[in-house]
Formats: sequence, C-alpha cells, structure tokens
Amino acid sequence: MNLLQYQPGNSFLHRLNPITKLAAAFLYGAACIISGNLFLVTALIILMILIAATAGLGGRALRLTRNLLILGALMFIIQLFFVRSGDPLLVTGGFVWVTTGGLVSALLLSLRVVAAMLPLMLLFAITEISDLCGALVKKLHVPYRYAFIVTTAFRFVPLFTSEFHDIEDAQRARGVEYDTRNIVKKVQLVAPLFVPLLTSSLRKVDAGAISAEVRGFNLRTYNSGYQQYPFHLADGAAVVLLVALIVVSAVL
Amino acid sequence: MLEFKHVSYHYPATPPVIPDLSFKIEKGEFVALAGSNGAGKSTISRLSNGLLLPSSGEVTVGGFNTKTTRASQIARKVAFLFQNPDRQICQNTVREEVSFGMRVQGFPEEEIKARTEAALETFSLNGDWSPFTRSRGERQRIALASVLAGKPELVILDEPTTGLDYKECTAIMDHIAKLNREEGLTILMVCHDMELIQSYAGRVLVLNRGTLLGDGPTRQIMKDRELLSKARLRPAQIPNLALRLGAGFEDVYTVDEMAALLQKRAGHKEGEE
Repeated sequence: MNLLQYQPGNSFLHRLNPITKLAAAFLYGAACIISGNLFLVTALIILMILIAATAGLGGRALRLTRNLLILGALMFIIQLFFVRSGDPLLVTGGFVWVTTGGLVSALLLSLRVVAAMLPLMLLFAITEISDLCGALVKKLHVPYRYAFIVTTAFRFVPLFTSEFHDIEDAQRARGVEYDTRNIVKKVQLVAPLFVPLLTSSLRKVDAGAISAEVRGFNLRTYNSGYQQYPFHLADGAAVVLLVALIVVSAVL
Repeated sequence: MLEFKHVSYHYPATPPVIPDLSFKIEKGEFVALAGSNGAGKSTISRLSNGLLLPSSGEVTVGGFNTKTTRASQIARKVAFLFQNPDRQICQNTVREEVSFGMRVQGFPEEEIKARTEAALETFSLNGDWSPFTRSRGERQRIALASVLAGKPELVILDEPTTGLDYKECTAIMDHIAKLNREEGLTILMVCHDMELIQSYAGRVLVLNRGTLLGDGPTRQIMKDRELLSKARLRPAQIPNLALRLGAGFEDVYTVDEMAALLQKRAGHKEGEE
C-alpha cells in the first residue's frame, strides 16, 4: 500500500480545512526543528502517532515512522562521526571517533528528521490532493496552473510506479535478471528501463495536456471550482494550539 | 508445453482472481484465451511465464516449474508479446532492440547477428531506425520481431492487435499463424476479439472471473451462444448470423461458406422459378 495515499474518513483531522492542515503540518514540523530537547522531540513523535490514531491512521503512522527512522539512522551515522564537540566517548589508538556532543547532536538531528517529516507525510493521508490544491487556489489565490502541476505530479506517481513495474516485467520476460547482487550490473540493467518509462511518460503528459487544453484549461479562474473550503472554529483552535507548541519548543 | 494444475492466484489483500484453474496446452497448438474485461486473462498469461507465481497449485511450461525457475530462464523457451510495445522497447536502434533479448540470454554473437538480420528481413524492418519514432504498428512489429528472433517454443500474445489497423493486424497475425503451421510454434493468444479468434485460433479457452467455462475447438465454441453469453462474449459475426438463420445454416462458419450456401440457395430458387 502506498503510505502517502489518501484514506477517506470523517475524523476531526479529516474535517479540518486543507489550508489549516497544511499550515499545521508545517508548524508542527517547525516546533520539532526549533526544539533542542531530545525528550520533547521524542514526545512530539509519539504525540503525532497518537494524533494520527484518532483519524484511524495509527498503523500507517507507525510504518511511516519506521521508514523515516531508516533515513534518520543514516543521518545519525553521518552526524555521529563529523561533530567533534564535547567529551571523547569512543577513542582507539589516540584517535577520538565519537564525542558526547556528536552523539547528542546525531540523536537530535535524526529524531528531528522523523518528527518534522511525519506530519507532512500524514497530511496526504487525511487530505485529498485535489482539495488541497482547490483550497490553495480559492483561499490563497495560488494560480491554478501551479496547483494543477502539483495535483498532476501526485496523480502520476502511482501511475509511473505501475508503469515501471510493467516495463520491468516486460524485460524479465525477455530474460533480463534484476535480482543480481552486483550493484554495477544492476545499474546497467535498470538504466535502460528509464528509456521506455520516459517515452511513455512523455506520451501520457502530451495526451493529458491536449486533453486539458481542449476542455478549456486556460479559462479557469479562482472561482471556477464548485467546491468551497470554509474555515471553522476548529481551524482557528488548531492553529492557536500549534503556535503555543512552537513557543513551548522554543522555551524548553 | 504448458500446464496449469489447480492453480489459484490472488493479489495482496484481495479475493482470488483465479480460484482453481487447470488446463493443458500441447506443443504446436494455437490456443486463444477468451474472456471479457476482468476475466483473469492477463493474470493467466503472466502466470504462464513465471512473471506471477501461483498462490497455490503448479504451472509447468516447457518442462520448467515456474515456482522453481526464474522468469528470465523461462524466457529462453517462452516469449511474451505485451499489448503495449512501448513497455518492451528500450534500445536506441531497431537492430539493438531485436538482438537485446538474445544478448541478455547469452546467445553466441554470431548467432545473434544472423538471427537479428533474418528477423529484420522477415518483418521488413530497417535495423538503423530509431524504434521510438516509428508508428504504433511498426513498434508492435519491432516488439514481435525481437521476441521471435530468439526462436522460442511458446509465444504468449497479450492482446497483440490492440490499436492496429486492419493491414498491420493481419500482417502480424498471418506471420504468427505461419510460424505455428510451418514450424510448430505453440501460441497462447489472450484476446477478446472473437473475429480474430475465429480467423486464427484452433482451440479456445473461455474464461469468466478466473473460471474456465469452456474449452474446445474454435468452431465448436463459436456455436455455443449460451456459453459465450455466460462469459459476456458473443460469437464472431458469421457464426452468429448462422445461429440466427437457424435450420440449414448450422454448419456455416466462414464468409466463404456462407456465400457458397447463399449462392447455392439463390440458384436453387431461380431454377424453381
């Protein structure tokens, strides 16, 4: 299952205005980045999983956290050996490998990555991308052309993934083995797959552009959409809470 | 050549697309797999060459069990022509494209050259063309040339004539039929075009929702309106017309047979007058 795919629902989070959800995801991420407190950042990750659970997305939040922790682990390793502040922690033959400052900094950075990216990724699970773009056009008057680019890019991701698998199958059916452990050989085998993917993508994009053009794409204005995106009291409350969270993160 | 033994298949977290399927295709047969959209035709074609593995049961093809043999190994004996040639074409020239499959399968260089040039000639292709700039019909011919150049024993055709005009369609199908007739190439054609099936296939497997509803000679299947209706198919036009005309037309199957019978009857009437 695509972890970024929209999951329909009627929870409190689902009902928020798309602009509020977008702002909330950024504010939550900002609070995590501002905080220099390891415990607070960890607590914010747990809190986000619990918040996601209220929208029936607890399992997905856990899977996303696991995937983000892999990325965090990579950043942890890099940071651990490059930050040299604090007391020596691991020394061999007179060479200081790890310092206390490096360890804290690496932990903080990797947790920040997880904590800041998690709400942004969950945003797509509770917001239909067309609603997000529609609200950006109607409320913030973002030109429809740009909103359409974002919508289309998201719509094409699963399409291209499926296309890529089909192309891979077509090559396997011709005798190409992709399960080699030799990285160089694997790259040599996978690289030609991008040629059919690129040509079919260009054909699809071209057909899509013509289709949009003949249906009056250029005639759209801010008011062309039928859907309305009103703000409610809950939207205001959510923003206030998140601003308060930023203040707490800055203080602690 | 190909055998399904109590095969079931389901995609993750979905009910089975194929609940329990068994059939056997002998060497040299030209078999059509007919069914409406969602009947499981494409899944069966992918199970046939190991691109998909059965959830239960066994598929054996060319002596290989697909569960224990890689699709890339099966490719030496089984070729697969995809509905969309653009998924297959990945080389810069037609010559490189036609030789690509043989090259990855480790054919000797001399053999690759000889077979490539023979395939280019057979399919009237210019080896120096860029495949990406050719018409849809030409791209399908390039794809077919590249899968047949390796001299497979079984060819699986997944809706091979979609998007082709009549001329391209008959050119491709006539060539495949010739290989089947003269060289004993086994063909499994996934198709819902009953006219095409009538013209080329000797045997039809009729599918509906992953279940085999009928299996028999094309001539016999085309006359079984009830069976085809259950599979949400209809007979090809001439057998359909013959069924509608009823008595005296039961054995009519082709345009020639229909024309001969109608002429005979018209002559008979004139004689009476």
